[in-house]
Amino acid sequence: MTAAVHNGIPNGVASSSKLASYLADESRFASIDKILDRRGPWTDERFEGGQGTKDFLRNQSKILVIGAGGLGCEILQNLALTGFNDIHVIDMDTIDISNLNRQFLFRESDVGKSKALVAAEFVMSRVPGVKVTPYHGKIQDHPLSFYEQFNIVVAGLDSISARRWINATLVQMAQEDEEQLKPLIDGGTEGFKGQARVILPTVTSCYECSIDMLTPPTAFPICTIANTPRLPEHCIEWASVLEWPKVHKDKKLDTDDPDHIEWLYQQASARAAQFKIEGVTWALTQGVVKNIIPAIASTNAIIAASCCNEALKIATACAPYLNNYMMYVGNDSVYTYTFEHEKRPECPVCGGESLTADAGKDWTLERFIESLTNRQDLQISKPSLSYSKGALFWPSPSDVYEATKPNLDKLLVDLLGDEEGIVVTDPALPVSVNLSINYV
Amino acid sequence: MDDSIDVTHATTGITEIPSYRPDAKTRRYDRQLRLWASAGQRSLESARVLLVGCDATGCQALKNLVLPGISHFTILSPDLTTSQDVATNFFLHPDSVGSPIAEQSVKYLKELNPAVDGSARVEELSSLLISEPDFITSFTLIIASNIEPTLELQLADLLWDVSNSVGGPDIPLISIRNSGFIGRVEIQLREHSVIDTHPDTTHTLRLDSPFPSLEQHARSLDFTTMDSMEHSHIPWVVLLVRAASIWKESHGGKLPETSEEKAEFKEILKKDKVKGDEENYEEALAQAYRVWSKSEIPWEIKQLLEDDSVKNVSSSSKNLHILLHTLSQFTAIPPHLPPTSPSLPDMHSSTTSYVHLQNLYKKEYQSDLARFKSLLAEVLQKIGLEDGTIPDEEVEGFVKNVGGVGIIKGTPLRERKEGKGLIAQSIADYQYDEYDGSTTCFAMHLALLASERFYIAHKRWPGVKVKSDMSEDNREVEEILKGILGQKDPEEVDDIFVECIAEITRGGSGTLPTTAAFLGGIVAQEAIKLVTNQYTPLDNTVIVNLVKSESAKFKL
Repeated sequence: MTAAVHNGIPNGVASSSKLASYLADESRFASIDKILDRRGPWTDERFEGGQGTKDFLRNQSKILVIGAGGLGCEILQNLALTGFNDIHVIDMDTIDISNLNRQFLFRESDVGKSKALVAAEFVMSRVPGVKVTPYHGKIQDHPLSFYEQFNIVVAGLDSISARRWINATLVQMAQEDEEQLKPLIDGGTEGFKGQARVILPTVTSCYECSIDMLTPPTAFPICTIANTPRLPEHCIEWASVLEWPKVHKDKKLDTDDPDHIEWLYQQASARAAQFKIEGVTWALTQGVVKNIIPAIASTNAIIAASCCNEALKIATACAPYLNNYMMYVGNDSVYTYTFEHEKRPECPVCGGESLTADAGKDWTLERFIESLTNRQDLQISKPSLSYSKGALFWPSPSDVYEATKPNLDKLLVDLLGDEEGIVVTDPALPVSVNLSINYV
Repeated sequence: MDDSIDVTHATTGITEIPSYRPDAKTRRYDRQLRLWASAGQRSLESARVLLVGCDATGCQALKNLVLPGISHFTILSPDLTTSQDVATNFFLHPDSVGSPIAEQSVKYLKELNPAVDGSARVEELSSLLISEPDFITSFTLIIASNIEPTLELQLADLLWDVSNSVGGPDIPLISIRNSGFIGRVEIQLREHSVIDTHPDTTHTLRLDSPFPSLEQHARSLDFTTMDSMEHSHIPWVVLLVRAASIWKESHGGKLPETSEEKAEFKEILKKDKVKGDEENYEEALAQAYRVWSKSEIPWEIKQLLEDDSVKNVSSSSKNLHILLHTLSQFTAIPPHLPPTSPSLPDMHSSTTSYVHLQNLYKKEYQSDLARFKSLLAEVLQKIGLEDGTIPDEEVEGFVKNVGGVGIIKGTPLRERKEGKGLIAQSIADYQYDEYDGSTTCFAMHLALLASERFYIAHKRWPGVKVKSDMSEDNREVEEILKGILGQKDPEEVDDIFVECIAEITRGGSGTLPTTAAFLGGIVAQEAIKLVTNQYTPLDNTVIVNLVKSESAKFKL
């Protein structure tokens, strides 16, 4: 056992002997040992149990947690108590006061500090024997080799693009080398609802396979915002999308800056009054511009527990792991739905087949691009299109944009001629997508 | 940390609109206020929660209640902390070993929210039940985490009896049992009112029976004088009310009924289009079915109106019962419809047309509200209560959203666990098909009941000895289960029961941190729903099977 004991942080000399005897006491794991020493009726064949299983869990496995926020705090707590002793955590955020209603490893005095650092410190001091290595930064800044060191990745993210990135990265790693197949356990919550899923890159359906299950973000047509506002949200969008750039020019809107929110709130309120629209509030203004999703500790607890339960099952084979999706709905009684989400053969990340896009023979390139941005299975907003002869349309850099802009008004069929394939890239897409055009 | 409102306002000074920039507390609770709003938060902030049994599951539940800001919690446990406790419970530290566990966990839980008060009682529940039942019943809600089965029922009895007495407090009990990957949450309450279920929509558009001002408005529009811009911005609600009104004139006052008539109605509507791509007409055609969907009280609410406790109200009735009683009087008067909601969905429209329409609904709501309030005053007078007994805010919330209320009636926990008839009925209701998660979970519930009886007989849980062979314990629990099922020897119990018992015994009533966190999350969600009277709580038992990552709920 001593090999697994890393630098616990003793609270003082007096308690250090108490700590030492606690860490030496193997019987403290009695509860979890019951299921690691004993087989259950539904336990996998490959389960060995006993010392070997415990040794892998406690001394050999290395697990990565992405996100130290609402889910991340819960995940770190659970993994540490479950016996994962070498935990790494990445988060680029700092602590905000609005985190404190659920991100329970943080206190008021931590506001402004790095989430990853504070969370790691806290877990190590509360659960001596566990090593938590924090990284304050973006997941995209680490090379592939960084991800190769882990056995399991658990993601508790609120960002879709970060999820798409880590998913594509792990799929790519598994595609290149079977030995590098890292299970990805992904959790997400909204209000009283949430979901947990297990992704075995290249084997099961991946995050990108189910991208069409996401509710598309509420987008208000520009003409409504500009001319016919009806809802308070329309007035807020007007303030943030149209008025802010007009008045502040190059100064970027910072939705974390209360003075900026204040300005938007004032503008939106004035516009609402002008149109006799009721309901613009500070909270709504902030909610609309930051796209705030309600979040509570209890839902995060349920989903994080489910994620960590799957991590334990994968690491020890003490029970079959989730295949592959569990939904939790708590706003009307208690309801779970567990099912197998199917792989999508034309998934741009893990599928082998290319994606087809329908197009009319009378469609301009602009109309075609609009049809792509409306696709639920792509979820893109600023695509760049290329074909064998080069760029068809790129929104940036500006010289390519200027050169390809005239193509927007041309007919797609004229531009492509005999060509059938288009390559699409987009800031939201973790990979480039090959599209074959089907004229209808 | 608290931003100064005045300074910012004074320095920007763009308009005269006051800032209302949120204070530190509002910012801390922002993400939850977006769910249960300030009314829910107020209820939460006056809730006092008692946790009986200080284990990882119970403390996880408390953590999720301290964070959103309940008023107070007490942990009751006579035990001293062991290293096993520390290893599973995040709200303990190796330093806690040997000290009273309730005190230790209170200390670490209180750190989560300075606004929450917590205290420990280092005592046995069994003695408090006798010496100080008033202490136990002084709480808003009680969570019992893995307490002895006999004590669990004694506690449940006390709470049921207190809640039974007229005018007594209704104290819900949430009881938890877990072993390894398996968990169960049971709720006992006499009666619970949900004042806002948070339905997806609260609109009552009344397209089939428009109120006079709405119909007048729709008929008053003169299409011939409109330019195409104006015409393409008439809200679809107005288009449909107008078309329905015209239809009724030529159909003896009746709305389209047959599928031919409905198709014809849509064709007539289409003819009014002046251009092919008028979005408002597209929306109207898609929503046309609402013209022939009858506006009425939702089915669930009708059921409530039939309940004796709503039909016969008295001065000790709960507010919701009095409001529902008044609602049934409201709908007894023509046009026999529930009150109009002031809410209107967004639709393709010009600002002025939309705002005008919205105001029509708001005015109708105001007049329905006034009518409701005068009926309510009569009801209150009749039962000997003062006008204003029910706060205006509550009355308005009810009238705005009559479909969003509910009443849950419970059963005593003892009856569920001992009442042979009830279990037998439930057993008869479920078929044991091992491929169905719900039936596995029900078998699991029975296996847990059998394990509890094993505990009562042996003062220990099956499978609690780590190294020993589990088969003897399994065998005995199977025999107990046979008794529950009413099965006779020498029949063997179904495989599904053998499996469920084996998994429970395997856990040996030990607490996995993940199972504890999962159940703690469920318990806290349910506690929040019960305390705020918002969202629909569990009624009344849920089994969680984390081997298979599934759950099922049962009303027992």
